[in-house]
Amino acid sequence: MIQVVVKRDGRVVGYNEEKIKSAVRKAMLTTELGEDESLIHKIAVRVSARGSERMTVEEIQDMVELELMDSPRKEVAKRYIAYRDQRNIARKAKTRDMFHEIIEAKNNDITRENANMNTDSPAGMMMKFASETTKPFVDDYLLTPEARDAVRNNYLHIHDKDYYPTKSLTCVQHPLDNILSYGFIAGHGESRPAKRIETASTIACISLETAQNEMHGGQAIPAFDFYLAPFVRTTFKEEVKHIEALTGEDLSDIKEREFKDYETRSLEGLEGHDRLCQHAMNRTVSRVHQAMEAFIHNMNTIHSRGGNQVVFSSINYGTDTSAEGRCIIRELLNSTYEGVGNGATAIFPIQIWKKKRGVSYLPEDPNYDLYRLACKVTARRFFPNFVNLDATFNQHEKWRADDPKRYLYEVATMGCRTRVFENRYGEKTSIGRGNLSFSTINLPRLALECRSLQDRDERIALFFTKLDNVLEITARQLNDRFNFQKTALAKQFPLLMSKLWNGGSTLNPEDTIEPVINQGTLGIGFIGLAECLIALVGKHHGESEEAQALGLKIVSRMRSRVNEFCERYQHNFSVLATPAEGLSGKFTAKDRKSFGLVPGVTDKIYYTNSNHVPVYYHCSPRHKAEVEAPYHPLTGGGHIFYVEIDGDATHNPEAISAIVDLMDEYNIGYGSVNHNRNRCMHCGYEDASAELHECPKCGSRAIDRLQRITGYLVGTTDRWNNAKLAELNDRIVHE
Amino acid sequence: MRILRIVEGTSVDGPGLRTSIYFAGCRHACPGCHNQQSWDFAGGQDYTVEDVMKIVRYNGFPVTFSGGDPMYQAEAILPLARQLHAEGFGIWCYTGFTLDELLADGDENQRAVLKLLDVLVDGPFVQSLRDTDLRFRGSSNQRLIDVRTPDFKEWAD
Repeated sequence: MIQVVVKRDGRVVGYNEEKIKSAVRKAMLTTELGEDESLIHKIAVRVSARGSERMTVEEIQDMVELELMDSPRKEVAKRYIAYRDQRNIARKAKTRDMFHEIIEAKNNDITRENANMNTDSPAGMMMKFASETTKPFVDDYLLTPEARDAVRNNYLHIHDKDYYPTKSLTCVQHPLDNILSYGFIAGHGESRPAKRIETASTIACISLETAQNEMHGGQAIPAFDFYLAPFVRTTFKEEVKHIEALTGEDLSDIKEREFKDYETRSLEGLEGHDRLCQHAMNRTVSRVHQAMEAFIHNMNTIHSRGGNQVVFSSINYGTDTSAEGRCIIRELLNSTYEGVGNGATAIFPIQIWKKKRGVSYLPEDPNYDLYRLACKVTARRFFPNFVNLDATFNQHEKWRADDPKRYLYEVATMGCRTRVFENRYGEKTSIGRGNLSFSTINLPRLALECRSLQDRDERIALFFTKLDNVLEITARQLNDRFNFQKTALAKQFPLLMSKLWNGGSTLNPEDTIEPVINQGTLGIGFIGLAECLIALVGKHHGESEEAQALGLKIVSRMRSRVNEFCERYQHNFSVLATPAEGLSGKFTAKDRKSFGLVPGVTDKIYYTNSNHVPVYYHCSPRHKAEVEAPYHPLTGGGHIFYVEIDGDATHNPEAISAIVDLMDEYNIGYGSVNHNRNRCMHCGYEDASAELHECPKCGSRAIDRLQRITGYLVGTTDRWNNAKLAELNDRIVHE
Repeated sequence: MRILRIVEGTSVDGPGLRTSIYFAGCRHACPGCHNQQSWDFAGGQDYTVEDVMKIVRYNGFPVTFSGGDPMYQAEAILPLARQLHAEGFGIWCYTGFTLDELLADGDENQRAVLKLLDVLVDGPFVQSLRDTDLRFRGSSNQRLIDVRTPDFKEWAD
């Protein structure tokens, strides 16, 4: 006797005989003889009685099939079977359509979720199939009903949901010194400790590549200059040894010489050991330059993740004032300025200049010359961006100018903006740590739901109630994911847990990562503060002081709730000014369906990035800085300040430093400058004109337009999704 | 003074970010001028020195006079230039006159303004000499002259 039925999605429901009757009746109605109620009844009763207590849908249907075949109505059996097949196909139709879209290499928003990814390549398609089929699995089996509803109803976006089942963490800042001094094992190769600059730069690359396959977010090096500097010295000594071998002379005195800088100079006029020393130095600088060029080249060409994506790599540098560190910085910048291949702008790694008063910013600072060079490079190549170590929230009480390991106390950022610094479970540092997962709240939707209230104060009060509610749901969702992630075994992330993650090396391969996962952060992000404010008070924070006050109140509330969540759940929660790439249009499209075209809110196809002043709004760089700066101390999970400048910045590196000055003045944590860069794919001509369709030098129409998308550079806008393209077209320069 | 537009924080009219003030009116009538509506002396709006200073002070950037041609309004501009100078704001000025013309034939107001500038970008725009690779100017006959130097050296940063 059948009691319960196991449905296809695994749910168990009470048995209902009527379902069998209705299916058989439908099959009969498609035949000439039509329905036969007594036969229907007979079959239903027999199946109910003969079946076991617990049966799957398929098992029951098999029984019905057999009963029909034993009955006089064989033609009904045929129809019934055909109907089952059709339903099975229909059930898969959604998957089929999605597969077709991917197979046909269509430019739709599924395949353009991520501008850095080539979903047309076989490996890219393979990953997209996996990604798209994983998401429903996560919805059905891994999310709580509450979280699933929040996502379905467009309040919440769970980032990297496709990676959810893998338990992977988001990102990490690599303590590269670990790997460079002790070596590591990746794949089938064991690497010994590095001895010279070429090896060191290659190992840096391998570390990023390998870890990218163990995580779903970006990979960064927090102190590129400090980590690689020792290998400038060993390379120099190696060069001196070569000369010793050649001349048979003992050159120990040269090996021990101290320098203020490694600089290339002509040997003319130099004699004796000075000449030999300069020669060794020239060779060293040239090798460092080559090694930096190779590093950049590798980061742009070697695909990880099954061959469809280059690493989301970032490197932080600028504060090593040793001669060797300065040599790394200078050659890295020079190489970046020159470009890769035929002089193209390198898309990766994202480079970040650590701006610090007394070190790398003011005219009297030891690295001021390199800071100027960095501005010149940014003016041409978009990178480096600038992280402001002087911002109050980026300082560290333990930082000492004479501490050789002071980089441990310098904030480093992921290029996209993800910031990990404060730590409830150990030293405040960025290194060996990263984000675990993040989810983003749709602020405009919450505001739109309050619009029917006429009274301003009531409207805002209701908004805050809703915000609190979604914040609670988000915190629970992140906590649930955390509890799932912590069950991962150390061996699932071999390099990460043996060499990179704080405390990971204390784990055995079969241990879970639970003891060390608390080093990571959980990010509660938000999108569309501008549209949210327009929905609530009619204006955004760039155009109204009232809106700005409310905007700060909203993000401050998020911050104070997040502090409570830290206590309640015992995690490093943080507020994140979300880099919303795949997300920028999804929320808006759905909200437009619910609320229609609301001026200033849903009338564009994207929502404005996090706390930014809308890209379409005309305002001066100073005003933008003034408005956006106060959000930076509140968003410890990461933030970025962009300025779009008019004209060709290559002519005007001082414009870049003027923007860094604004960051310094307004206590802004991280920022970068956007400008146009067109490049002729045929002759290499570059300029900054707004709408270049034809190369003025060679007439070619193959113009590559370089732009920045959520912190990353993208060479061609072909891979931008529709919402991001619309946002780009609305971007106006800040003047 | 008659001003067409004040651009706060531009990167195209001299080094760094600058507050550029576009003065109305020009009689040079250079062929190929990309902004002919700026020739009208009645264009734009009236500003007082204090109106402009408020905007300049807020932004804190050095200043560029452009137009139109600011030198046609030298008399009106002189008090502004004095005030900017007094408050330590550097000034660049674009003009269709050459430096030599201003020195030889300029009136006392023009020469007084000249003394308050850091850099004069001089000479008319000549379409046949147009070059987009040039820094801060449109055609190669135009010069960036550091007018603070006694012998009017070319400006260098």
